[in-house]
Amino acid sequence: MRINPIVKKDLQVSARSMRLAWGLFGYEAILAIAFLLAMMVIREESRSLYGSGNIYNSMVYLFPVIGISQLCIIALITPIITASSISGEKERQTFDVMLTTAMSPFSIVFGKVTSAVVRIMFYVLGSLPIMALSFIVGGLGWSTLFLYLLTVLLLAVFSGSIGIFCSSICRKSITAVILSFVFYFVVYGMTFLPLLLRFILGYNDAGESLLALLWNPGAFFEEYFMITMTGESLISTEMLRKDDVGAITYWFMERNIWVYVSAGCILVLTILFMLMAAWKVNPMHSSGGRKPGKKKKEN
Amino acid sequence: MLKINDLTKNYGSFTAVNHLSLHIPEGELFGFVGPNGAGKTTTIRIVCGLLKASGGTVEIGGSKAALGTKEMKRMIGYVPDFFGVYDNLKVKEYMDLYGSMYSMNSKEIAKLSDDLLELVNLTDKKEFYVDTLSRGMKQRLCVARALLHNPRLLILDEPNSGLDPRARVEMKELLKNLHSMGKTIIISSHILSELSEMCSSIGIMDHGKLVTAGNMDTIMQGIMGDVSGGKKIHIRISAGMEAAVRMMKEYPNVVVESVRENELIIGYQATDEEISALIGRLIQSQVVLTGFYQEEGNLESLFMQLTGGEEA
Repeated sequence: MRINPIVKKDLQVSARSMRLAWGLFGYEAILAIAFLLAMMVIREESRSLYGSGNIYNSMVYLFPVIGISQLCIIALITPIITASSISGEKERQTFDVMLTTAMSPFSIVFGKVTSAVVRIMFYVLGSLPIMALSFIVGGLGWSTLFLYLLTVLLLAVFSGSIGIFCSSICRKSITAVILSFVFYFVVYGMTFLPLLLRFILGYNDAGESLLALLWNPGAFFEEYFMITMTGESLISTEMLRKDDVGAITYWFMERNIWVYVSAGCILVLTILFMLMAAWKVNPMHSSGGRKPGKKKKEN
Repeated sequence: MLKINDLTKNYGSFTAVNHLSLHIPEGELFGFVGPNGAGKTTTIRIVCGLLKASGGTVEIGGSKAALGTKEMKRMIGYVPDFFGVYDNLKVKEYMDLYGSMYSMNSKEIAKLSDDLLELVNLTDKKEFYVDTLSRGMKQRLCVARALLHNPRLLILDEPNSGLDPRARVEMKELLKNLHSMGKTIIISSHILSELSEMCSSIGIMDHGKLVTAGNMDTIMQGIMGDVSGGKKIHIRISAGMEAAVRMMKEYPNVVVESVRENELIIGYQATDEEISALIGRLIQSQVVLTGFYQEEGNLESLFMQLTGGEEA
């Protein structure tokens, strides 16, 4: 199988820079701090008056603490990496040459997202020993860890696709990074809009407005951790009655498939962002381009 | 090799390229000249598939495929005017990267990049990091990179800008070498003297339009034959200027261009034999001649003439 040349180049270049080593160190350090803080809280709680006295039973809670910490870091750094990828090539004046090669705009975009995701997975795999503690002493199964890695991958690809889309529409990396976070909040916020509208319009039930949350990665992870830790769904038939929601929403709740459908929706959104980025970087699709101005001279 | 028909590019109300038509045969080293903003780079970027044209068609190697498609991209090797390199990437890896972007296998890339690095005189820099190379070396490496997939057409946009005199000479020699190997090359440049030395044909653009294009020798002959209806001859006279001017005014096909203290400049539509006969007549009529020469046409004078004196 042929490796995408951009993935190979990006990994080669980043592996030679100190940024990767420092990034890995910083990532593990933050997780270690989160782990120690969580351990401290668990210890105090188990020794308290209402505590079980058995610290090992509570160790299972290390998983959501470290897991969510990781997800927050990934959600933060992946768009930064991808948002500066295409705009970085433009700033470095290497992008035009890349576009004249036989690589299609989509394979350029795909290569950029993949290289960012692979770098993120380096961090995640490096943190596995810390994560494993909550599995060894907390009693969680290895399949949970595997599923967790898949969800991390989904979040990394999703965040990366938002970043790459912003990178394709911006000339400067810093603008692309800022725009990525704006997009993030827009995507998150938009999913609550139907629910909000229903309340504003005075409806007594949520109807099918909850379906918009299928596109919300925040809701997806909340549901995922809820099922993993308690075995119960956050959006479940126990919480909401049939009359509170629409028929489709109720069907998802009844069959407990919300998390899978949501993963599919996020994946669709990811592909859509990547396709839009590929469309945007393709010079043959841009409407007219900008009038050439004075170019920056190389030293 | 390259056929451009009625190419137009508009940016709103501004027309960067205005109904440009051009034909460059195979094996030519074509010089693209024009003042800043003439539309040279825009034309090149359209041909390379980096810009969408507002109208017109481009054919490369007889193929009418749409620009920006893989088929067209494989036929072009492009060296932009300003380009960057990747930090932490060696010369060898740089070639490998671009080779793999054309789906070439590693053996093929290794073989070809060795040959090309030798051609551009960078064999000993193979293990060097690209960002440590000089501007001239980077430019030559970029040419090697553009040739890696054996394109039928090599396009260089201002390849000599920012280069020191030595690097310019090296680049010129490299391009001459490639031309002698039969490559079709398009080079846009502001350094007209260098273009006239190496190009086999040129095209001059101004305000988005092609003012003139064709074989270098034909164009040069055209310049010499286009000065006040004839060849421009400078005659140095130490005595008898008045008699000489009178005689020239009466001489058929001669136009007196200017009269200076010791120099008379005339335009004469004639053959070399007729010119020598004219000089003989002047000497016989007691005019004291200290010298004479025929003004050579050059690309600069043609360029200034055609673009109304705008700087290249």
